[in-house]
Amino acid sequence: MSTDSTARRSLAVSRFVPGIVRQSHGLQRFMLLLGFAIVAVFLVVAIFAPWIAPYDFNDVRADGVAFGTQQAPSASHWLGTTVSGTDVLSRVIFGTRTAVEVIVLAVVLSSLVGVPLGLLSGYLGGWLDRGLVLVMDALYAFPSLLLAIVVSIVLSGGQSGALSGIVSAAVSITVVFVPQYFRVIRNATLSVKAEPYVDAARVVGVRTPRILRRHVFSNVSQSLPIIGTLNASEAILTLAGLGFLGFGIEPSAAAEWGYDLNKALPDASSGIWWTGVFPGTAIVLIVLGVTLVGESLNDILNPLLRARGGDSGHDAEEVAELVETDPASTAATSTAAAAAAADSSSGDGERLAVLSLSGLTVSFQTDGAPVRAVRGIGFDVQPGEVVAVVGESGSGKSVSSRAVLGLLPETASVDGSAILRTEGDADRELIGMRAADLRPIRGDEVSMVFQEPGTALNPVRTVGWQIIEGLQAHREMSKKDARARAVELLELVGLPDPEQRVDYYPHQLSGGQKQRVVIAMAISCDPDVIIADEPTTALDVTVQAAILELLLSLRDRLGTAIILITHNMGVVADMADRVVVMYRGEIVEQAPVDQLFSAPAHPYTRALLDAVPHLGQEDGPGLLDESGDVVLDVDHLVVEFPGGLGRPAFRAVDDVSLQIRRGEVLGLVGESGSGKSTIGRATVGLQQPTSGTISVSGTQVSGLSDKALRPLRARFGFVFQDPAASLNPRMSIGDCIAEPLRTQTDLSDADVAATVRRLLEDVELPGDYVARFPHELSGGQRQRISLARALSLDPDLLIADEPTSALDVSVQARVLELFTELQERLQFACLFISHDLAVVDSLANRVAVMQNGKLVEQGPRGQVLGAPQEEYTRRLIAAVPVPDPAEQRRRRAERGALLTDVD
Amino acid sequence: MASAEVLAPLDPPSPAPSSGRRGPLSPLARYLLVRLALIVPMMWVLVTLVFVLMRVIGDPIQAALGGRLNAEQIAERKAAAGLDRPLLAQYLEYIGGIFKGDFGTTLTDNRPVSQILVENGAATLELSVYALIVAFAIGVPLGRVAARHRDKLPDVVLRLFAILVYAAPVFFVGLLLKLAFTPLGWPSSGQASTSTELTLQNVHPQTHIMLVDAILWGDPALVLDVLQHAMLPAIALGLLTGGVFLRLVRVNLLQTLRSDYVTAARARGVSEGRVVRKHAFRNALVPVVTVMGMQIAMLLAGAVLTETTFEWKGIGYELADYLVRRDFLAVQGIVTLIALIVGLASFVIDVIVALVDPRVRF
Repeated sequence: MSTDSTARRSLAVSRFVPGIVRQSHGLQRFMLLLGFAIVAVFLVVAIFAPWIAPYDFNDVRADGVAFGTQQAPSASHWLGTTVSGTDVLSRVIFGTRTAVEVIVLAVVLSSLVGVPLGLLSGYLGGWLDRGLVLVMDALYAFPSLLLAIVVSIVLSGGQSGALSGIVSAAVSITVVFVPQYFRVIRNATLSVKAEPYVDAARVVGVRTPRILRRHVFSNVSQSLPIIGTLNASEAILTLAGLGFLGFGIEPSAAAEWGYDLNKALPDASSGIWWTGVFPGTAIVLIVLGVTLVGESLNDILNPLLRARGGDSGHDAEEVAELVETDPASTAATSTAAAAAAADSSSGDGERLAVLSLSGLTVSFQTDGAPVRAVRGIGFDVQPGEVVAVVGESGSGKSVSSRAVLGLLPETASVDGSAILRTEGDADRELIGMRAADLRPIRGDEVSMVFQEPGTALNPVRTVGWQIIEGLQAHREMSKKDARARAVELLELVGLPDPEQRVDYYPHQLSGGQKQRVVIAMAISCDPDVIIADEPTTALDVTVQAAILELLLSLRDRLGTAIILITHNMGVVADMADRVVVMYRGEIVEQAPVDQLFSAPAHPYTRALLDAVPHLGQEDGPGLLDESGDVVLDVDHLVVEFPGGLGRPAFRAVDDVSLQIRRGEVLGLVGESGSGKSTIGRATVGLQQPTSGTISVSGTQVSGLSDKALRPLRARFGFVFQDPAASLNPRMSIGDCIAEPLRTQTDLSDADVAATVRRLLEDVELPGDYVARFPHELSGGQRQRISLARALSLDPDLLIADEPTSALDVSVQARVLELFTELQERLQFACLFISHDLAVVDSLANRVAVMQNGKLVEQGPRGQVLGAPQEEYTRRLIAAVPVPDPAEQRRRRAERGALLTDVD
Repeated sequence: MASAEVLAPLDPPSPAPSSGRRGPLSPLARYLLVRLALIVPMMWVLVTLVFVLMRVIGDPIQAALGGRLNAEQIAERKAAAGLDRPLLAQYLEYIGGIFKGDFGTTLTDNRPVSQILVENGAATLELSVYALIVAFAIGVPLGRVAARHRDKLPDVVLRLFAILVYAAPVFFVGLLLKLAFTPLGWPSSGQASTSTELTLQNVHPQTHIMLVDAILWGDPALVLDVLQHAMLPAIALGLLTGGVFLRLVRVNLLQTLRSDYVTAARARGVSEGRVVRKHAFRNALVPVVTVMGMQIAMLLAGAVLTETTFEWKGIGYELADYLVRRDFLAVQGIVTLIALIVGLASFVIDVIVALVDPRVRF
């Protein structure tokens, strides 16, 4: 095991450098190589200093002849001599050796101390963490050079002289840099600790040292080369500073650049340049080299600047399989449908389209071949019409809409045409328009609503300021008038108390209110077209219903055309007049909404519609008889999170009791913040209850120490929401699945391998996937791996926390199918946590509804979702749009009545 | 059709303006209290650390005066400085002294450390302010230029410049400046010519801030002399910090320019110049200000080196001088002083962050 991992590590290191160079490009690569070259030269000089240097660093005479002081550069002294009569070149060369020795020692020492401290402090938390953070922050805030001086006095000054020379200097610098390693590693540990894959390891009872080693350190360690290099350059500067102030290395022991610079300082005023310029240049060059390496590493390794590889492509393959189940006419239908669609749009001649796209192509410049995200699409939208553009991730639906307004990054190149026809203006071509001409159109004639209202608003400006800014960009308006108009707009979009809220900052508003503000901005100049890019995806379902109503009422009142980009077929059925279906950058079908849902022409559309779970289907699972053993028993559970200074505690779960029997699936539904996930986390011991008990198969699991809980952990499995985050990116699939087995059982390696293969088979993945890494898999495949891992110990209870909400709908359908099949076969009890009522409807025996931490309703699936008793449940269900336009129209009419009744 | 108003009440209740709901403290006051609660223990740790470190060295009297005085005289000096008492008593006295503004007395010239703050603190403050002005003047506009021309020639040149400035120790930059400007007759050491300094001794009230004193005296020639002397040190120290600012402004500007709200502003037709000025720039400055807290420490360390290089008689110069004289009581006092300044400065920075960022304020 250990030799194996060392071998792998050394392999990784040997691959590291060329790997880095390969990942870089252009200028970055040049800087990186330049940095490496400079560092290499200094290393060579340092190692071979005695052979390269013409004299020793303290020699003042050779062959009995004195060099003379402050001699200008000459043939015998290329760089001249110093004020004390030594050879400048020799001192610079030996100084290199000193610098390299000190840096290497300092970097190694400070990482040896700082890294473990940071890991422990970040992972364990508590008082140890607070104390260490206090001390480290204090050290960090203090001027590092002064700290190094104080330490260097302690070490070598005074009378004690405990350490001397290079070691002393290195230790002084180490004290300064330990806090830096500590901070970086601790912060990285904190963020890794919050990753679901660490929770996943804790859930199966992996011990702390192993978690630190396998999960935390392996993921934190990639920042080490960056801190190391940055640190090395600071070490050189600190060493030089120490030397300059006379607290570096004893001058008789070694040559040191900072010391030489100090001695050269008086020379500068008398025009003697060589004594100072050469050692100074040496410092600049070596720091430059090290910094260049560090900066380039930072650029290349920074995950913020890097895309997570392999996501969409694989999902697309998975979807492609799905579509090709009907191979007969894919190509033929697609072209036929497109042609028909084109016909229908051009045939409808009497109303002119306000915006028509044709042949729109978008490609992105990447390091490899350009990626074509949109491949020649075209559709029209007419005044007062809602055209829904649907498709799964990577279909190009968002990209095409942004291309219209020229909002894509510079790496995108856009071709084709987007004609804007508005009253009183000539037709205008938006594609290729100059930025200055496009600006007056943006927000005035064509405006946008964004997916994430939380990030679409500038956090440091009030919402009123941002609305006024949009108004004044297009209208000559006084500040006062603009403000009055902003209040009016906020009122129009149903924001309560607009007079006061106009001066609110975005963080003072709820998600739904923020989206109302974004919509107020979008309609502020009476646009002809609104492009709404997933306007309700980030919102809860009741808020979604309200926002969609708002958009429709605005369309009715203002006659605006709306392009609605969405992946949610329910929203499409609810809103759209016409639908455009996109798949891998192309339009596969466009049709009026009723026709699309009743008679989808293209196999992809059919597959997509088949995959969408439909709330209110009669054939869902029924109730089990009451004879099965109770597997999960949650009794009067309360979970509180402590408030900050002067804030009351937050009660996330408020007196919840529920039971699940063997073979039963309980769907736990609720909106964000309702406390449903907290129940799941408390059940597996990731969160301690404030009061109440939790028992699994008759044994109480709440209130136990980690150690006491460990043997019980085999009884439950956990599937997390985000499949990308719940698998450690640095562990192979085989290791991921095997981790619970290795932790909880004494199986031999061969048995573990056999079990892993069987589990892979269970989740319908080929056995050779054991050697792959998570990033090589698609989202759906990763979630199947999570499922396999959760089931590896044959648990009594499975907790699935939003297991499919990060997946595209067609992928979700396959994962759910697999889940149902395994559940029926293995008969585990399941707590299925979801915000999606339709998904729960398709697989739960019983349903529990949560609101604000309380359980508001619990009962058989058919009853809770079919004939809800509680007002909140009725509202929740009424707000869900179903993927059937006719039925949705009926629901909408009923809902209006219901909600009016309620009010 | 159900109207928007019917569904409106379904929005979850907005988080009401937080001031009313969460107790007697306004959020800003609470934030500042929390910051203060964090900074006071930090200062205590630093001060204690200085004390422990300086005591570990052994005997400061022996270190400074050993060899010059006989054993009896040294014992006498020890008793006078209270160094023969138990460590705990010394520690309590030391902490108590700090509260009273008493940082001890130097060994070699019997000067109260607090007097060093009064007489030399002004010079350090002056130099730091000049350097900050230079740093902002260099870092902020150049950072904007670099961000705007990302990966093009100006960006590459400016990034190399920032790295070079960072890579060059401030005393080497000082040396180069001296080499370049001394032949041109520029003053390259001290805060003013001797005659100016003598004249300014007579200013009343004397602020010890040379420029202010010179202005108070009212002779433009003296003001010019003071400014000329400040030029090279300010550039040397300002370049160092300016390079850091440049990189920070560039990176943060690039990040905010990629954010959704910038796209949203563009989508509502806001001009590109305004987008950079009103949206990206201000938001990019928040982390820059935060990092400035750390820059204060760097600036002070840089000031020690700069002051030594240019014989600028500030706290750093005095510190270096006492270090050479092995006067560790003076060193302990001055380092304690610097620790307090750092703590105070980071609190001021927190207040500034709260003013720039409403998320903290509300």
